[in-house]
Amino acid sequence: MDYYARPLAQLIGQLTKLPGIGKKTAQRLAFYIIEMDQAEVNNLANSISEVQENLTYCSKCHNLTQNDPCHICNDPKRNEQLVCVVESVKDIVAMEKTGEYNGLYHVLHGAISPIDGVGPDDIEIKDLLPRVREDEVEEIILATDPNVEGEATAAYISQLMKPLGIKVTRIAHGLPVGGDLEYADEVTLSKALEGRQEIE
Amino acid sequence: MYLSQLFLNNFRNYSEEYLQFNPNLNLIIGDNAQGKTNLLEAIYLLGTGNSHRTNVNSELVNWEENGFYLKGELIKETQNYKLEIKMQGRSKEIRVNNNKLEKNSDLLGYLNIIIFSPEDLELVKGSPSRRRKFLNLELSQIQPYYKHTLKEYDQVVKQRNQLLKKIRDANAPQEMLEVWDQQLVDLGTKVIVKRLEALEKLKVLARLMQRKLTNGAESLKLQYDSKLNIDGDSSKEEIKTEFSSYIQRKRKKEIERGVTTVGPHRDDISLVVNDVDVRKYGSQGQQRTTALALKLSELEFMKSEIGEYPVLLLDDVFSELDNKRSNYLLETIKNKIQTFITNTNLKRLKELRQNHNIYRIKKGSVTEVN
Repeated sequence: MDYYARPLAQLIGQLTKLPGIGKKTAQRLAFYIIEMDQAEVNNLANSISEVQENLTYCSKCHNLTQNDPCHICNDPKRNEQLVCVVESVKDIVAMEKTGEYNGLYHVLHGAISPIDGVGPDDIEIKDLLPRVREDEVEEIILATDPNVEGEATAAYISQLMKPLGIKVTRIAHGLPVGGDLEYADEVTLSKALEGRQEIE
Repeated sequence: MYLSQLFLNNFRNYSEEYLQFNPNLNLIIGDNAQGKTNLLEAIYLLGTGNSHRTNVNSELVNWEENGFYLKGELIKETQNYKLEIKMQGRSKEIRVNNNKLEKNSDLLGYLNIIIFSPEDLELVKGSPSRRRKFLNLELSQIQPYYKHTLKEYDQVVKQRNQLLKKIRDANAPQEMLEVWDQQLVDLGTKVIVKRLEALEKLKVLARLMQRKLTNGAESLKLQYDSKLNIDGDSSKEEIKTEFSSYIQRKRKKEIERGVTTVGPHRDDISLVVNDVDVRKYGSQGQQRTTALALKLSELEFMKSEIGEYPVLLLDDVFSELDNKRSNYLLETIKNKIQTFITNTNLKRLKELRQNHNIYRIKKGSVTEVN
């Protein structure tokens, strides 16, 4: 990095700390920033410095939000009796993009994983039970990731919900839509076969 | 299937070689430490994406170079494939017909390979992990879903072991185990069922091979060897129930030891010749014959599963086998299985009456002799 003037070297150094950004990308971004309008640079700098100040976690569903409760929990058109449990805020975005879901969410911020030292108390599970009771939730959809940690977390929550006698469902593992069956990888296809459903 | 061409660049002690192979027999002749096995290793790599000798990728690169490149042309009954492996620095890139694979493990299943080397004696007398690996690699080559299930199962075992230790040290409640037990039993049962199915077929083939190799003197029995009370006739449900109840019974012991004590990660194949456990008590000769019988049945098993014979790599095995076994081996592969044989000389291979190419290897360079 010795080739660069110090402020430039510093910027590149900061950028390389971000995930997915290597030296070359950082260099390209830094040179781009140098060429940007002063106003745009200020906007960028402000957004970066304000993002942490202005964001908080929703006290109800643990989504990232500017106002508490978040816009999803606050939306009167949404079905409060339906709660979808996800591992991260990014999963909410993915679900929302479908436009098919009109219930609420519950973000765990992680999954149970003993080797990483994460137990049920280390993720946002404890207020799920009181929430389900108070809001008279009728169905919980478990949409944790389809790996062993996600499955374990789903199994744990479904155990937790058993005494309440509410409906607990798990999202299906399936085939990508619009693709040809012959191009699906064997693992996905085998899972889809296992989870096949009777046509009504 | 057969490999028709191979191009090597900076691989091990080869700087650049282009070779065309015989669809039947390829004899690779040379003194020790000239690069015979390296050539087999390159072929193995094109089949599995990994070396059979090392996990350290940098060892595969020629001295003072920072990457290698391998290209092979694979001819199968229905289609031909171009397979490429490029290693640059630390990253390995694999292409099939010019398309980059997302996961390197997706390479499995194109070029099916069976390798037999003197170390394969370990298959019989080595630790149970050696025999598990034999079954795992074989099933992974023909069933990608098996490989995926096994990987998830191993992850569950790792997580569960950690949890058992935490419970032992009073850092987690015992009820948390149920969450992992469910997956352990589900995934573990799937793995066991696949292994039992494969073993039912291998069993018959291996018995036949052993009989032929010994003129009917030895009868070999293969059996799945598990702490669980199961056999080839057990149904999936029976295995599940047995697995669940076993870990319930051993709860206290597992917590004490902090490990999962039962399941496919602990199972074995028992090998019995004339009522004697050859793993422990077989003579050197019996163990050799058994290893060879297992490998030959693997060939037939693969043929029955994928419809074509895999490519066979025989690394320096003729020094270990007597004339009779060598002849039987050569008779079995004759004109139907593409085979690569390494040897220091042509002595015993001369009488081969089949179509073959001969390559002489000296210090990492290859000359084809006619």
